Amino acid sequence: MADAQFDSALDLLRRLNPRDTKQNLQAITSLVPDLTEDLLASVDQPLEVRRCAKTNRDYLLCDYNRDGDSYRSPWSNEFDPPIEDGTVPSERVRKLEVAANEAFDVYRELYYEGGTGSVYFWDLDDGFAGVVLLKKGVTPGSKSSGAWDSIHVFEATDRARMSHYKLTSTVILHLASESSSLGELDLSGNMTRQVEADLPVESDASHVANVGRLVEDMELKMRNLLQEVYFGKAKDVVGELRSLASLSETNRDRATHREMIMSMQR
Amino acid sequence: MPTTVDIASSFIEGAPPGELADVVADVKALTADDPSVISSIAPAFQRYNEQQLATVKLPGASQEVVISEFNKLDDGRYFDVESSTSFDFDHVTQKASNAQSYVLESKNEDLIKSLLKALGKHASEHYPSCSYGVYPTENDSAVAMVLVANRYSPNNFWNGRFRSVYQFPVSSSSTVTGKIQVDVHYYEDGNVALNTTKPISISIPSLSAESVISRIAAAERDYQEDLNRAFVQLADGAFKGLRRQLPITRQKVEWEKVGGYRLGQDISGGKGR
Repeated sequence: MADAQFDSALDLLRRLNPRDTKQNLQAITSLVPDLTEDLLASVDQPLEVRRCAKTNRDYLLCDYNRDGDSYRSPWSNEFDPPIEDGTVPSERVRKLEVAANEAFDVYRELYYEGGTGSVYFWDLDDGFAGVVLLKKGVTPGSKSSGAWDSIHVFEATDRARMSHYKLTSTVILHLASESSSLGELDLSGNMTRQVEADLPVESDASHVANVGRLVEDMELKMRNLLQEVYFGKAKDVVGELRSLASLSETNRDRATHREMIMSMQR
Repeated sequence: MPTTVDIASSFIEGAPPGELADVVADVKALTADDPSVISSIAPAFQRYNEQQLATVKLPGASQEVVISEFNKLDDGRYFDVESSTSFDFDHVTQKASNAQSYVLESKNEDLIKSLLKALGKHASEHYPSCSYGVYPTENDSAVAMVLVANRYSPNNFWNGRFRSVYQFPVSSSSTVTGKIQVDVHYYEDGNVALNTTKPISISIPSLSAESVISRIAAAERDYQEDLNRAFVQLADGAFKGLRRQLPITRQKVEWEKVGGYRLGQDISGGKGR
């Protein structure tokens, strides 16, 4: 029963307006409170930003840096509000996490030219796992606005001189435009893709480079995909609903074209 | 705190084009401990059907007719002017039954019939598949026109709906007011929705059906062109401003250098900028 309800909840969230995922998630969990933990862990929502009190730098909040009601800053490794015995990575994995945060800071500056990023790692029995978060918002004019949230969750499983990486990436992209000639337009959504790869590992530094390259390739692929769906597919569907050209003329042109081909074949 | 009925109603009314049955199945599963929920949210189904301009095949007919707030009779039945039929409509199953002959009683009957004809001609020129209707409204002092075009492709994970609703008072000089709404849903390995609303206000010089429909046709064409331009502007503007396709150097990140340079330092943690 619970499994069927969980699947129904995910199906429903895949159908209802993605702009309202947060409210709809709350509504579902008020109907079926037992689903709360599982849904929070599997439904991606736009990331919230918090300022690290110790370093004065912004970081992103997600289920992976949460312990109870507190969130761990990747810059200070401390929880806000402070808690005793909050779950932190082992010393080795924390070192990797610090290196990854510095590397992805360069990546964020190069690709996003602003925005906010955070990387969180945690220990696994046979390796480690992590999440790379990137967020950017734009309001280039009063006419249009946009928000991008990237959530890359990966597991790195140790193998001899190699590591097996499994990456699940979600991008939440929200765009809106408003003007007197256009009225209101909202183009919102999220897409998820997965990839697995075995990559050589010489030292811990290899992990940062391997994860970096996987995320970089995935984001390029997903950016192209989003561009295709948001601006290609959506426009095509509108064109299938309503034809700008007169359908009787289009049909006449097609008939003429067919006749021409037939006459050439004769 | 919203009740179960409030929540279930909002889910029904939020169903994307062509996916009402899927949303109903999900709502049923999530409210399995209370089987009365679906029947107690009947008003939400009615609002959904009237606002989304649900279409239904009348028994024995091939064409679909529209459900809207404008063609509802006092006893809850609906009527179609073109086929002179009234019918029962089950809002939950979206099925019509008990069709009977219905004669339109309106002092604007001639105008309504010529609008229907002109709207039908316009519709067949620009909508590969659509349903429409023209009805008296506001105590027979005004006329309402509705048009809905649906394309459902669930096997390819997309569905779309184009709706327009117009009203104008029947008087010597008049203004057509209304709105055009486009909804597209794409849900292959994700969930992407386009929702647009464009308010319409056009003054019409004369009450001839041809001139009303030609002004409406022009407004719909202008809107589709504006919408197509908006896609290009968002792609070139907001989308590009969020994330570059490649860094300004046109080079991908040299992760060994980025990582190596940084890893060479003491990375004991807790460093700010």
